[in-house]
Amino acid sequence: MLLTGPRSFDPAPFDDISYDLCTRRDDVVIMSADLSKYCQVVRVKNELPRQHLDVGMAEQNLLSVAAGVAKGGLIPVATCFACYITRRAYDQMMICMGTGSGPGTNQKTGPTNIAIGFTPGISNPARIHHQAAEDLGMVRAIPNARVIDPVDSTDFRAALDAAVDLPGLTYIRGHRGDTPRILDPEKFTFELGKTYKLKQGKGIGIIATGHGTQWALEASDILTDRGVEHSVLHVPTIKPVNESEIAEFAFAHNQIVTIENHQIVTGLGSLASEIVSDIGGGPRITRLGLPNRWAPGGTMDFIRGQLGLDAETLATRIAGVAK
Amino acid sequence: MRRNQSILDLEIIAVKIRRNVLEICRQRGGYAAQGVALADVTAALYFDEMRPDSEGWFHDRFVLSNGHDAIMTYGALAETGHYTIEQLRTYNEDGSQVDQSPIEGQLGFEITAGSLGQGPSQAAGLAWALRQQGSDKRVYCLFSDGELQEGNVWEAAMFAAHQKLDNLCFIVDNNDMQASGRAVDVLGVEPVPEKFEAFGCKTRRITGTDMAELLDTFDEARATKGQPYVMICDTRLWDGIDCLQQALPMAHYTAKAAVDWDEGLAEITATLSALEARRDG
Repeated sequence: MLLTGPRSFDPAPFDDISYDLCTRRDDVVIMSADLSKYCQVVRVKNELPRQHLDVGMAEQNLLSVAAGVAKGGLIPVATCFACYITRRAYDQMMICMGTGSGPGTNQKTGPTNIAIGFTPGISNPARIHHQAAEDLGMVRAIPNARVIDPVDSTDFRAALDAAVDLPGLTYIRGHRGDTPRILDPEKFTFELGKTYKLKQGKGIGIIATGHGTQWALEASDILTDRGVEHSVLHVPTIKPVNESEIAEFAFAHNQIVTIENHQIVTGLGSLASEIVSDIGGGPRITRLGLPNRWAPGGTMDFIRGQLGLDAETLATRIAGVAK
Repeated sequence: MRRNQSILDLEIIAVKIRRNVLEICRQRGGYAAQGVALADVTAALYFDEMRPDSEGWFHDRFVLSNGHDAIMTYGALAETGHYTIEQLRTYNEDGSQVDQSPIEGQLGFEITAGSLGQGPSQAAGLAWALRQQGSDKRVYCLFSDGELQEGNVWEAAMFAAHQKLDNLCFIVDNNDMQASGRAVDVLGVEPVPEKFEAFGCKTRRITGTDMAELLDTFDEARATKGQPYVMICDTRLWDGIDCLQQALPMAHYTAKAAVDWDEGLAEITATLSALEARRDG
């Protein structure tokens, strides 16, 4: 099993991840737009100031300066809230960071550009403006981009470690604050595009990503108690995903449910639907996540409850698809 | 003056760049008026200011922010031999590798430059990264006055000044012409030097067509410590070719049928002959 034992929490995952990366790689620059503290970039800022660059409260500048830093031979890791780093600076992400590498560009392998969006979806308490329910879909639409939604700090660390060695644009959803330790770092090996079976079963196949995988595992415990047969597949890489693994999982189940901390359009649910419909004749897919209305603010537990994404309601909704 | 080119030699190169611009744009139209107007800046930049490296390219880095002005780089790189004029004549042709508004990684172009206002920040990031690694390379970034209407430019100016990027030189093509007409009518950008000064940059306003003044300005930029330098060039479209001045009102993009290219080239040939006679005689 890839899962850890008793549930514990990492209080500030990115502080360690960024510090460890920068001590190992002196060509990495952690960049901020006045949100270092709120993305938990503390030790790099204080102890490795040459590897920290704050561009001020200017997200377009964050990503365009980052693209320049990359062209200068360093590896920028631009950090900000997911809403701002995607919505507010989408053109800079696409044009400045995303057009220098891969098919259709002038360079097979161009500079490495990394952007991390913290507090994605409903993990930010300030409703609407601070919440990013569309970031995965936005970045997924950029040709050659990589999009990763890790479930915990182990996944997050591994995704960033992979990204620094890859040319082109990588967008990673970040975790901050008490982050549950879910994957066992001794057994889990991140591979770009790979999917991970966290629970093996029959009946209902649950496909989840990011916070959605945390929620899926909570619901899974309840489903198990209720005797509802199911499996859980964790899909950290939204793009480029190993499509055959998703297809194989989907066609091995009677029903598929996708769970994501993102709108149910353009993200994981759409991805799974596209893969299965391209083949044809697959199982019905029920997409769970943020609906087509503005989510409330508050704690994530409160918002989940309001949107029917708390463990109990999720379990009931999942069990309901079998009927 | 950096590479000990004579002013007359550079003026001759500028005329040849104008000739190249016309040769390229007469095929299918293009941003000819901008290329012609920037020919002196281009000659000074590519043939005196930027140092060559040992691999047949440049030691210093040039970031073009507005894709339209790519024509000036093409005009220069035809003279250096990095492109042949035959290659460049495919500019604006379906399937051509010579993009009218180039994409990152094409020879001569550091960034994808068509989405305006994004060059200055990338140049600033590049300058920061080079300084961080102890490099003596300098970074030059050309952008237009129309781009001053983009907020990203001012974010870049604030950042570059805050970081004291004295290895960075912004060149503003202050030609008072944008897609819909004169900048002064669309959305006034003046006073340009005062604005950059207020952001913490050192500035100088020049015509952009006087070679001695251009070289002196580049010298001053290099001697400036602790702040980025902004040279504001008050170019006017078609500057350098008198007979095409009547095309000015339609000059943002010059269609193939809009001007008499032969007439323009004849004037250039005469100018070139006169300058070469002065040099040789």
